[in-house]
This record gives sequence, structure tokens and C-alpha cells, in this order.
Amino acid sequence: MTAATNGRRSRIRVDWPSCQARGLCHELLPELIDLDPWGYPLVLGEVPPELTAAARAAAANCPKRALRLESR
Amino acid sequence: MRPVVGPGPWLLRSPDPSLETHRSTYRPLTTTSAENLASSAEAAALRGRGGAAFPFATKLRAVAARRGRKHVVVNLSEGEPASAKDAALVLTAPHLVLDGAELVARALGVSEVHLAVPDEHRWISEHLERAIAERPRTGRRRFRWRFHEVAARFVSGEASAVTELVSGRANLPVTSWVPTAIEGVRGQPTLLSNAETFAQLAALVLDPGSARPTDDEPGTRLLSLNYASGPIRVVEVWHGTPWCAVLDAEQLSRPVLLGGYHGTWVAGGALRNRTVSAADLADLGSGLGAGVVIPLDEGECPVHRTNLILGYLAGQSARRCGPCLRGLPALAAAFDDLAHGGELDPVLELAGLVEGRGACAHPDGTVRLVRSALKTFGTEIEAHAHGTCTGRALITAAVTA
Repeated sequence: MTAATNGRRSRIRVDWPSCQARGLCHELLPELIDLDPWGYPLVLGEVPPELTAAARAAAANCPKRALRLESR
Repeated sequence: MRPVVGPGPWLLRSPDPSLETHRSTYRPLTTTSAENLASSAEAAALRGRGGAAFPFATKLRAVAARRGRKHVVVNLSEGEPASAKDAALVLTAPHLVLDGAELVARALGVSEVHLAVPDEHRWISEHLERAIAERPRTGRRRFRWRFHEVAARFVSGEASAVTELVSGRANLPVTSWVPTAIEGVRGQPTLLSNAETFAQLAALVLDPGSARPTDDEPGTRLLSLNYASGPIRVVEVWHGTPWCAVLDAEQLSRPVLLGGYHGTWVAGGALRNRTVSAADLADLGSGLGAGVVIPLDEGECPVHRTNLILGYLAGQSARRCGPCLRGLPALAAAFDDLAHGGELDPVLELAGLVEGRGACAHPDGTVRLVRSALKTFGTEIEAHAHGTCTGRALITAAVTA
């Protein structure tokens, strides 16, 4: 079984209609979230285990509740 | 504008849309299990005809396996202006669509069906209402048909936007965290399919003898043929029909846009020895989507045509997802610049920024069109960079709005 099917590796998903480009996710998780020219998040990849807590915090602190962490 | 509907070999074979004629062609409606319907659909390799081509049997089984209240939605909204096949079905074989929906509803133990109809074409609802009035009331409880008017916007007919509308919310796409089959209308399991899919299912179940099976793709396809002028022509062909029976030699010698505004271009001549089949089109890196076919007029420049369509698509954003709201107009502007001799890089960069970043398929579909144009018309784009255009651009050719 790989780490992915183990549920240790997760994926960040953006609820695009909710996202208002506040940019907090990039502040909290610059390792995985960049911002595009308009300020919307660019998710750079899957969440490695060591960043799971930070990713969870980024999702929890989005003022628009537009980020979700999905385990795969 | 109403389509011109050619006679067809299978769904469109009834000479008139009346219930009487319909019943003389097909078996009477019965109640059968969801698994029976799924098996029939699976044997015929029936895939959704709204564009996504999802296997119908898989969807039906997913809904049937859930407990509790379920919903059945027939999507007749046809938000793409180049598509008129669902309208054609309503004009010529409304009872086939209704039978397909009622078969599914009965199998799922549902006593009502939601019909998502385009609000800009009132005649579609009127034709359906007339057909419904002809149908006998059966069963202990009265079977109900509920109409929902879908806004005249490209993305309003997208599955999640229709599900929202039927749930009593704004008719706009939303993020689907879970498939509609599991959480659809009001969060309950929902079988939402395109009108042609229901019609195909009804024909398979109520007239199993006359389906003409081919090796891997039995059944027919409804195609919306868009010529430079005049109404859309809807034809029905068996899978495996050569393209030269659908388009003339001149049209086949020029590029053809398949799958509509979210579709892919195939180069001039590429379809000449090919058939209307998923395998042949996949070979060409293309697909039929919802069955829209757009041949070019004589002397029409495909780069300009793409440019016109992109301008239209950019204006069709629901304006809720940032990358689509901001990115599509920028992408359309960059492509317009490219079409007039500008740089390629901004087009590529913006395409990358839009792709995969929206609640619905609008950004991805638009990028698909852009990429296929870049791939297919490299020489023409190069010519534009040097100030020439091989086609005398019919820049005024209207992208129907």
C-alpha cells in the first residue's frame, strides 16, 4: 500500500466560486500555495505528511472557507 | 432558431411526434428494475450524450444503490448555441425522451421527473407540455413532470448548475465535492442525464430488436451540423458511418471543429477516411462531445473563427470563479493579439493559469479549444505573424449568441 492509499498524503482543493483571493492560504502555506497574477491560489502539489498540519491550518483559516483538504 | 431535423434511422425515425405514432413503433412502457436498465445500457455501451460521455450504466447503478429519496433530471437545456439535438428530439420524438425518463423514474421508485428546459426557447416547453398531455396517467399516484427554466448562458446547463436550479438555488455552477449520483438535488441521490441519453435508453429497452450492433459501439449519434448560414441541421447516423456521408468533399477538405465551442479542431482532410466513432476520433485527438460539428465555409480562416468563439466564451463566464472571470477575457485578448500577428507565449501562459481552476468545465473546455487551434493551425498562425491570412477571413461570420 502506498502512502497515498494509506490516507497520509492529502490533496488541497479550492472551492473556486467561494475563493475571493484574500491570499491568507499563501501566507500560511507558501510551500504549497502560490498566488496567480490576480491573487488566486495556485496549488503546487500534493500535501506531504510533514505539511499536513500546516495545510489543515491554512484550510481552517481561509476567511471564505474555500479550501478543503481531501485525503486520497 | 429551430433546427432542421433530418430523418434518422433510429431515434428520429417516427414520421410525427404524436403518442399514437410513438406507440405504434415502440413497445408499451413497462416497469423494470434499475439493474435491467443498466444491463441494457451496458450491452449497448451507452454513454452520456451531454458531452462528458460518462457510462450510463455506472451512473444508474450508483444512484440505485443509494437509500432514501432520489431524483431524476432530464437535461434539455442545451446552453451551447451550436447544439440543437435535444431540441430536435423534442420536435420529433418527445415521447422517447419522456419514456426514457419514466423508465428510470419507475425503476428508482420515483414518481416525478424534473425537466430542465431552456428559458429562451419557450416552444421547447410547449412541445413537451403537449406531449405530456397526451400521455395516460398511470399508477396509483399521479406521475409528475416538473419544469425548470435554465438561463440562456453557456454554463447554465452544466450538471451542477442544473442541480442547483432544481434544488431551488441560483442556476450557476458550484464545486461538486461528491458526484451528483450520490449528492445531487437537495443533497439527495440524483440521476441527471442529457435528453438524448434518455431517448437512447428508451429505444434500447422498448425496441431492442432494431438496434444495429457494431463491434464496440452500437447505436446512433445525433449530430448538430452548423453551416455558415441557415439553421442548424440535426442528423442521426449509426456509429461507424463514414464522415463523407455527413459532410461534403469541400467541407472535409477544410478544418472541422468537433465537439462544439469546447471541442477540438481536426485538420483539413483528416476526416476523409474516418468514421463517426469514438475510436477514430480519439485517434485524431478529438471527440464528439455533445455531437456539435462545425465545418468551415469556403475561404474562412480557422484562426479567426477560433478567435470569434473565444470572444464569445470569455463573455459566458458565470463570473464566480476567479481564474475564469479574470483569466478567460485575458486569454481571449491574448489569442486575439496572436491572431493579429502577436506573441504566442502569453496565450500559453494564460491557458495554463485557467486550466483546472474552476467549478465547471468552462475554463478547461475553453483551453481545449485554444490548444487544439494552436496544434492544428501552427502554419496559419505563423502566416498571421507575417501579416498574411490564407483564408479571406469572414470576420463577420456570426458566432450565434
